[in-house]
Amino acid sequence: MADNDAPIRATDNDAAIARLSAVQKGYLVDPYIATLVPRAHLQQPRPPLINIGTYLRSRGIDDLLDAWFRLAGGRKVQIVSLGAGSDTRFWRLASGTHAEQLHKYIELDFAENTSRKAMSIRKSKVLSAALGSPDAVSVGGGGTTLRSPVYNLLPVDLRTPPVVSLEPLLASGDEPLLSPSLPTLLLFECVLAYMAPSASNALVQWFVDYFGSPGSSGLLGAVVYEMFKLGDAFGRVMLNNLKSRGVSLPGAEAYPDIASLSRRFLDLGFTAAQALTLREIRSRYVGPQELRRLSRLEMLDEVEELELVLDHYCHFVGRSDVWGLVTKDQVGSGDDDGDGFGP
Amino acid sequence: MPSDLDSQIEQLIQCNPISEEQVKRLCIKAREILIEESNVQVVDAPVTICGDIHGQFFDLMELFKIGGTCPETNYIFIGAALPSPTCLVPMNDPGDFVDRGFYSVETFLLLLALKVRYPDRITLIRGNHESRQITQVYGFYDECQRKYGSSNVWRWCCEVFDYLALGAIVDGRVFCVHGGLSPALQAIDQIRTIDRKQEVPHDGAMCDLLWSDPDDITGWGLSPRGAGFLFGADITKTFAHHNAIDLIARAHQLAMEGYKLMFDQTIVTVWSAPNYCYRCGNVASILELDEHLVQEYKVFQHAPSDVRSVPLKRPPADYFL
Ligand SMILES: C[S@@+](CC[C@H](N)C(=O)[O-])C[C@H]1O[C@@H](n2cnc3c(N)ncnc32)[C@H](O)[C@@H]1O
Ligand SMILES: [Mn+2]
Repeated sequence: MADNDAPIRATDNDAAIARLSAVQKGYLVDPYIATLVPRAHLQQPRPPLINIGTYLRSRGIDDLLDAWFRLAGGRKVQIVSLGAGSDTRFWRLASGTHAEQLHKYIELDFAENTSRKAMSIRKSKVLSAALGSPDAVSVGGGGTTLRSPVYNLLPVDLRTPPVVSLEPLLASGDEPLLSPSLPTLLLFECVLAYMAPSASNALVQWFVDYFGSPGSSGLLGAVVYEMFKLGDAFGRVMLNNLKSRGVSLPGAEAYPDIASLSRRFLDLGFTAAQALTLREIRSRYVGPQELRRLSRLEMLDEVEELELVLDHYCHFVGRSDVWGLVTKDQVGSGDDDGDGFGP
Repeated sequence: MPSDLDSQIEQLIQCNPISEEQVKRLCIKAREILIEESNVQVVDAPVTICGDIHGQFFDLMELFKIGGTCPETNYIFIGAALPSPTCLVPMNDPGDFVDRGFYSVETFLLLLALKVRYPDRITLIRGNHESRQITQVYGFYDECQRKYGSSNVWRWCCEVFDYLALGAIVDGRVFCVHGGLSPALQAIDQIRTIDRKQEVPHDGAMCDLLWSDPDDITGWGLSPRGAGFLFGADITKTFAHHNAIDLIARAHQLAMEGYKLMFDQTIVTVWSAPNYCYRCGNVASILELDEHLVQEYKVFQHAPSDVRSVPLKRPPADYFL
C-alpha cells in the first residue's frame, strides 16, 4: 500500500531539483537548497522554461507571504507548510526581515520524506544553526520528527482524517504546538493536487474549525500553488505523462478552472479567495527591469509554449476572516494593482 | 551516388544514423546544391508546406504518411528540424539520451539526404534553430557528440545551415519564411541582396526573417524572444500588397490547432510538430497548395508510441511538481 505513494513522495525530488537549477542559473537566491539535494553538484540544470516557471512559483509565494506578514501587523505568526518536502522557506524566512515575527514554522510530509530532511538538517551546520541552541532541538519518532522552538518537522499522511492525525500533533495539550489564537498561514505548495478532494477538504476544514472556534482570535490564511485546468489538450497530456510515472492528480482534476478553485475555499468557510495563473503573474506582476534580467539569464525563444505551460499552474490565496484589508501588495516589482490577501 | 544515397535514406527512415564519413560527404554535397540556390527560392505549385518538426522523427514519418513521400510530393520545410531548447530534459545518465526520443540528427540528416537526392522536390528554409548559437547551447550539439563521439557532425551540419535559403516564393504568390517580416525590408527582392552565408546575426533583416512574429498590434513591436520583431496586420497587408502576394506562410510559433490564419488570411502559421515536446497536446498540420494555389490544411496527430518494434520511449516531459 505504502509503495503506491512512492511516486508521490518522489515529486519532492522534482521540486527540489527544479529549485536548485533556478538557483544555479541565477533566477533565485537560495543558499540552502543545495544542502537538501543529494549530490547537488552533479545535478544538471533544468530547461529554461522550467527555470522561469520555478522562479515565478517561488517569487509568487514569497510575495504572498510578505503580504501575509504585513497583514498580521506586528503580531507573531505561525506557518504550517503541508507537503513541505525539501522546501527551504523556513531558513530563508529565518534569515530575512520577518524572522522576529515567526512564532512557529511547522512542516508536514510523509515520514519517509521528513526523516530524510531531518537527517540532512542534522548533518548541515548551516541548517542546524538556524534552529537555535542545540539543547532545544530534538529528534524523535525514529528520526522522523524534528522539534525546535520555532521550526518543527512532523510526519503525517495528510489524507488520514485530521482528528486522528493532525489533532494529536498540532492541537493537543494545554499549550498546543499550533496556537489557535495567532494569525496562521497554511502553505500548500503543490500538494493538494495529489489528494482526493474529500481528503483535502477535510484537512482544510479542520484548520478552519480550529481557528474559527470561540476564543480563537486567529486569522487563517492559505496560499496554494498547483496545476489546474487539466481538462484541455495540454492537461490531458500532463495527466497521461504523470500517470506513466505512477502519479495521479485527483485533486487537480476536480478543479477545471480558476473559479472552481476559489469556490472551493469559499465553500470551506473562507471569506475571501483569489487566484492568479503563473502566466498572469509573469505578464502583469513582474516588473520590466526584472523581466530584462531574467531574459538575460538564458535564452528562451518559445513564448507560446511557455505561456501554455504557465497557464496551467496558479497561485491562489484565501483568508478566513473579516479582519481589515490588506495593504495592496505586488508580486515582483511590477505594477501596483496587486493581489495580496484582499477580497 | 544515387544508389548509395538511396540506401542512406533507407537507413535514416529506419531512424538509424549514417556513418560519420557518410555525413561528411552528404554535407559537402548539400552545400554544393544549396550554394546555387537563391536567398528566396522560386518554387512551382503544387507544393506542400511544413513548419517546425523539432527532432520529432516519428512524427515526421506521420507527416510523410499524410502528405505523401518525397519525391512524389514536392515539399517546402520552413525551418526548425532541430530540437527546441525548451524541450530538452537534461538527463543525468548520458546513456538515456538516444533512447528518449531525441532524433534531431536523424531528422535533419534525412531531410538533407532527400534534398541532395531530389534537389528540385524539396526546399529547405533556414529557421532560427538552424544556428550555431542555439544548437550549441542546447541539444543538437550534445546529441551529435553522444551519437558520433565528436563534434564533427555538428560542425558540418552548421556549415550546411549557413547555406540554407532564407525563404521561398511559390508561383510568385505565396511567400514562405520561418519567422516573418523585417522593418528593414519592404520588398521580397531586397532579400535577394542579403549575403546569407553566415551564422544568423543578432539583428538586421536576416535575423528578423528567422525570428519575427505576427501579433495583434499596429506597426512594429519589440519581440519577447529577444530577437526579431512583432508585426501587425497593417504591416502584413502592406507587405502583401507591395509584393503582389496572396499569403505569407511561416512557422516558428506553436499553433494548438496545427495552423493559424491571421489578418484576413494574409498570413498563416503552420506548425508540424504534434504534441510538441511530448507535452503540449497540440495537433500539427501541413499546408497543401494545389496547382491553383488553393489551400488545404491537413491536420495530424502525434505518432502512436508503438511505431517501433520496441515501444518508443518518449522524453520525460518536464512539469512543475
Ligand atoms: C511536489 S512536492 C512539493 C514539495 C514542496 N511543497 C515544494 O513545493 O517544494 C509534494 C510534496 O507533498 C508531499 N505529499 C503529497 N501527498 C502527501 C500526503 N498525503 N501526506 C503527506 N505529504 C504528502 C510529498 O511527499 C511531497 O514532498
Ligand atoms: Mn523557430
